Amino acid sequence: IMCGPVRDWCFSQVKGAIDDDVAEADIISTVEFNHTGELLATGDKGGRVVIFQQEIENKNLPQFRSEYNVYSTFQSHEPEFDYLKSLEIEEKINKIRWLPQKNAAQFLLSTNDKTIKLWKISERDKRPEGYNLKEEDGRYKDPNTITSLRVPVLIPMDLMVEASPRRVFANAHTYHINSISVNSDDETYLSADDLRINLWHLEITDRSFNIVDIKPANMEELTEVITAAEFHPHQCNTFVYSSSKGTLRLCDMRASALCDKHSKLFEEPEDPSNRSFFSEIISSISDVKFSHNGRYMMTRDYLSVKIWDLNMENRPVETYQVHEYLRSKLCSLYENDCIFDKFECCWNGNDSVVMTGSYNNFFRMFDRGQRRDVTLEASRENSKPMQVLKPRKVCAGGKRKKDEISVDSLDFNKKILHTAWHPQDNIIAVATTNNLYIFQDKVN
Amino acid sequence: AQNTFSEMMECVFDAQNLISISLRKIQSSRTQRGGIKLHKNLLVTYVLRNARQFYMSKNLSQTQRTHHYEDVSAVRERQDYFELTGSLTELGDDFYCNFTGVESDTWHCGAHQPNGQPAEVPHQDASACAMLSPSDSDLMVSEACWSCADKSSWELPILNAQANQKTVLDLDTHVVTTVTNGYFHSDCCAQSKQPQGAQCYTKKRKMDTSYHIVDPEFYLPDFGPVPFKRMRTDEDLHSDSDQLDSTNISNLISVLGSGGLSEFVSWQQTDLEQIFAAQTICLKHTLLTGSGWTRAIEAF
Repeated sequence: IMCGPVRDWCFSQVKGAIDDDVAEADIISTVEFNHTGELLATGDKGGRVVIFQQEIENKNLPQFRSEYNVYSTFQSHEPEFDYLKSLEIEEKINKIRWLPQKNAAQFLLSTNDKTIKLWKISERDKRPEGYNLKEEDGRYKDPNTITSLRVPVLIPMDLMVEASPRRVFANAHTYHINSISVNSDDETYLSADDLRINLWHLEITDRSFNIVDIKPANMEELTEVITAAEFHPHQCNTFVYSSSKGTLRLCDMRASALCDKHSKLFEEPEDPSNRSFFSEIISSISDVKFSHNGRYMMTRDYLSVKIWDLNMENRPVETYQVHEYLRSKLCSLYENDCIFDKFECCWNGNDSVVMTGSYNNFFRMFDRGQRRDVTLEASRENSKPMQVLKPRKVCAGGKRKKDEISVDSLDFNKKILHTAWHPQDNIIAVATTNNLYIFQDKVN
Repeated sequence: AQNTFSEMMECVFDAQNLISISLRKIQSSRTQRGGIKLHKNLLVTYVLRNARQFYMSKNLSQTQRTHHYEDVSAVRERQDYFELTGSLTELGDDFYCNFTGVESDTWHCGAHQPNGQPAEVPHQDASACAMLSPSDSDLMVSEACWSCADKSSWELPILNAQANQKTVLDLDTHVVTTVTNGYFHSDCCAQSKQPQGAQCYTKKRKMDTSYHIVDPEFYLPDFGPVPFKRMRTDEDLHSDSDQLDSTNISNLISVLGSGGLSEFVSWQQTDLEQIFAAQTICLKHTLLTGSGWTRAIEAF
């Protein structure tokens, strides 16, 4: 695993339209590498999935090792209409999760607010030719003209990548699905909405098991919702879910059928001196991710990233401020709805660095071992091939130094919500509104 | 820390501002594509609660240190104090009247103990906080206690004569109805009487008659028949009875739970006939269990 400390990140590629006029359907809503990192999938608001594949041929030339090209594009979800409630169901892809590869084909799960689909992506580079009973164009021959037996042969053709829906998991979620997570047992996966978590078998679409239900008997007593959920990377009986109140609950499916009672509750007491009108909003967890080694969990709330040790429930072991300078701007961010932005976070391959997005197309990396952090920017201006990214700095107040950007100049429409790190290499995918940037570490 | 009167007033204005912004957000969420987002609306109600608590606690220190607001005229004065304009004022007034507070058993008192450590005591009321720091000025005490104002002080008297009555906006059906002691009066049950909700609603209006008539369109979704529309024109009253039935079905199912049919089919022992036969009972039950969206407004 080439995941040592990185001093410099370089621009590699950018995918997506160049013009500033962003079509809403093209807004990227999820980014995910597969387990080898060879494939990179994105989902967008228009319900499309685009898969990029790393070009293996150039892997020998280190500076080109991360060239990703379009591999497959397909329409995963369409807008639907719930006639009973007169509600439209958005086709936006909320999450994509890859299944570990078992055969030649690739499988991924994609979900919108209500329905999860299992897609098979397979390659076809041969086609049969020379049918006994059919003409080349498919018409059946006159049987009287057939005098001999001919077996079709497979001849090479241009590579064709096909995506086909193999399973549709529907009608199991009353509320909006926010997470899906594939279990390490390779047989089951979970899906979570605001109030419930369901367990599915990948082969069975007509039923799922409800394993968490936090809907109160009296909805007036509702005080929190589920915001994210994930299976433990190795322990197939363990999963975690986060709440809008900033708590994490670790659950063991062996304990009982309904995991309403958590095995562990991770919560940090609120700092009363930081209390504000928006305390509840900024403590809501927007993403939770287990470390690859399974010993830690990372959570993202509006202003910070926290690392939790599975063995310590009363506080995180590390806290990183992503953009503390926004604390004094919460009122404006509430007005323009930015305070509701759901930032994601991710680990690098060996869990030494974590990454998350911010505004102004900035994204942040925190090196846990070296106790260093850096702010980088994904922009077309810094898009020359192999151009090294210059660290950015935001000036919170006082005298602004050269090259610093003041808080008031930040563009809050340019937000990086989705980032992904190659599982084995120092390659990152960073999604701006409608562009996907790929960066890699500088190779000398 | 707010040391000056003007700083305090600025904060009070901020709280007012936040209340109007929040109400606007809840209102616009109804027409958002993809349906009402439970998570976002829940967070908005927290801001509403916080802003309202803060606003009330400032008034507490301003006027008198009492926990119970039973003086209707005092309530009206406070309503007049609002500088919200236009229809948002009506919205604000109405929700303001119906605020019953958010249940929370994890209530932390932000007041500081004399030894400087913040206290963590559940369900403290303002007077208890005052006792903790008797030397503080009125202003500072209320500021410290804004997060733990007495819950009972939130329950303003409803201008309606009947006790325990509140007006509820159901975000599922977009119907404004009156609820007495937890029971619907609405016409969800295909009863011929006029929905009382509308009448009660208009009573809460300001004296200014230009705001007297509530525009139901303000609350209605862009499509779909709703019983509330019925009372607007004679045409509506003469409309198809089939429409009434289907409306009731959709109201019923949406009231039963925000999940519509999927929630509905999970009721294994229940069949449609039973439900229609026992409409009132169902709705009472439902109101007690509530639809999550109702709470979004009721909480304020």
